[in-house]
Amino acid sequence: MEDGNLYDSEAQKVGFAPAIKELWERRELIKLLVNRDLSVRYRKSVIGIFWTMLNPLLTTIVLWFVFVELFGGRLPDNQQYAPFVLSGVLVLTFFNQGFSQAADSLTAAYGILSKVYVPPQTFAFSGSISNAVNFLFGCIALFVVSIFTGAGINPLAPIAILFVICMVFYVTGLGLIVSTIYVRFDDARNIVIVLLQLMTYLTPIFYPKTILSEPVRWVVNLNPLTSFLEVFRATFCNTGIATIFDWCYMFASSLLMFFVGIKVFTKKWPSLVAMLS
Amino acid sequence: MKRHANRFLIEVDNLSLSYRIAHNQAKSLRETLINFAKRESILTHHTALDGVSFSLSEGETLAVLGRNGAGKSTLLKCLARVLPPTKGRVVTRGVVAPLIELGAGFHPDLTGRENAILYGTILGRSSRVMQTRIDDIAAWSGLGKFIDLPIRTYSSGMLGRLSFAVATDEAPDILMVDEVLSVGDAEFQGRSKARMETIMRESACMVLVTHNLALVRELATRAILIDNGKITASGNPDNVVKKYESSLES
Repeated sequence: MEDGNLYDSEAQKVGFAPAIKELWERRELIKLLVNRDLSVRYRKSVIGIFWTMLNPLLTTIVLWFVFVELFGGRLPDNQQYAPFVLSGVLVLTFFNQGFSQAADSLTAAYGILSKVYVPPQTFAFSGSISNAVNFLFGCIALFVVSIFTGAGINPLAPIAILFVICMVFYVTGLGLIVSTIYVRFDDARNIVIVLLQLMTYLTPIFYPKTILSEPVRWVVNLNPLTSFLEVFRATFCNTGIATIFDWCYMFASSLLMFFVGIKVFTKKWPSLVAMLS
Repeated sequence: MKRHANRFLIEVDNLSLSYRIAHNQAKSLRETLINFAKRESILTHHTALDGVSFSLSEGETLAVLGRNGAGKSTLLKCLARVLPPTKGRVVTRGVVAPLIELGAGFHPDLTGRENAILYGTILGRSSRVMQTRIDDIAAWSGLGKFIDLPIRTYSSGMLGRLSFAVATDEAPDILMVDEVLSVGDAEFQGRSKARMETIMRESACMVLVTHNLALVRELATRAILIDNGKITASGNPDNVVKKYESSLES
């Protein structure tokens, strides 16, 4: 017990394994934070859960109308558009809300984190976990839409949980980095939102990659979110093809982002606390 | 809790903390860029703590005195491992419990009960144990039915009382108190003092940052005076308090 509570400023390790270990040690706090998030979001009611599903469904209808009806767009191989775009919208919402909540949870916890040591990734991780739960509820809607449009569900659909885990780590890492910018600069949000928009358009959410010209397609493939999305579509509802590259790119970028996030945060946070207080 | 005799719970060795600070400390990206373009952003090094050394063993209460901005709160942050030292070394043994104002960082719309459980869990306690302790904590803090109201309805005195009640509910090894006892009425102050004395007897130690010199004389077993990040006096609380008072007059 004494060893568990020993702090020696000269023996602090920053790395992947210690960061994971700290998350495990703080699992009760994570559970509490996730519960708090979810009860605020769903107001402890089933209607609350349906309400959060409504947004991606409406977005899907709008995108379907614009892409299929206005532009007369078609997916290759006569694929169904609705499950294609809904899966994209869900993944994008998971990413967007997950990372902004991860970043916001850290800025909101400034009063705590500047007084007592809590592994910072705990807050960011809780933020992404509660969005993962939200995403899983969204998958129910996607399940219904896929069956209804005849696109069907991949029998290997449970493998999509690998995608969820990777996304949680990716979003946690990104949230850690962005929160240090948010704490330092009040107006950084505006720029981050524009960058997010760019990243959104460079992800094949409502268009198939086949309509892109070669240089653009190259850029889109370089976007890690594309690989995340392809893996999810391929494993869950047969509306995409995930190559070995996509799988490797998804795993590598999520681990790297998590690691870099912790490194950056550990390096930047103390000087922010010292400077701002 | 059994301990090794004469073991230091806190060891601070030649601790220095400095950081860069922009002269006009712009809070927005826009301002920073404008300052940068106008070559106005002058970075200076600020030394908040400079070669601070002390150690504290069980049963001791250290009072940290000094003017505003002398480095007292920075020292607490170093002990709470929020700020890693620029130079030197900090070692703490055991559970460290800093008193945190339940305001900042906590959810104003959640009840005192929910926030207190969160605070306890942040301090490293089991949330299940917190669930069972919360009624006693509420009773001790004297909040009555306010415990189930959102904390945005609380006065600062009530927040301070709840915060103290949570932090001291399970005796920590190292209790860090930063000016929180000024809140609350005389009755509460008396009870909190008694509770701190109990914690001291249970062979823990306490670091007390306060401007309440009467409290220092009463509780502290040792004191240090910090000025501009350096320890300028240490030892017997009475002597250090006298030195602090004379430094205020000069």
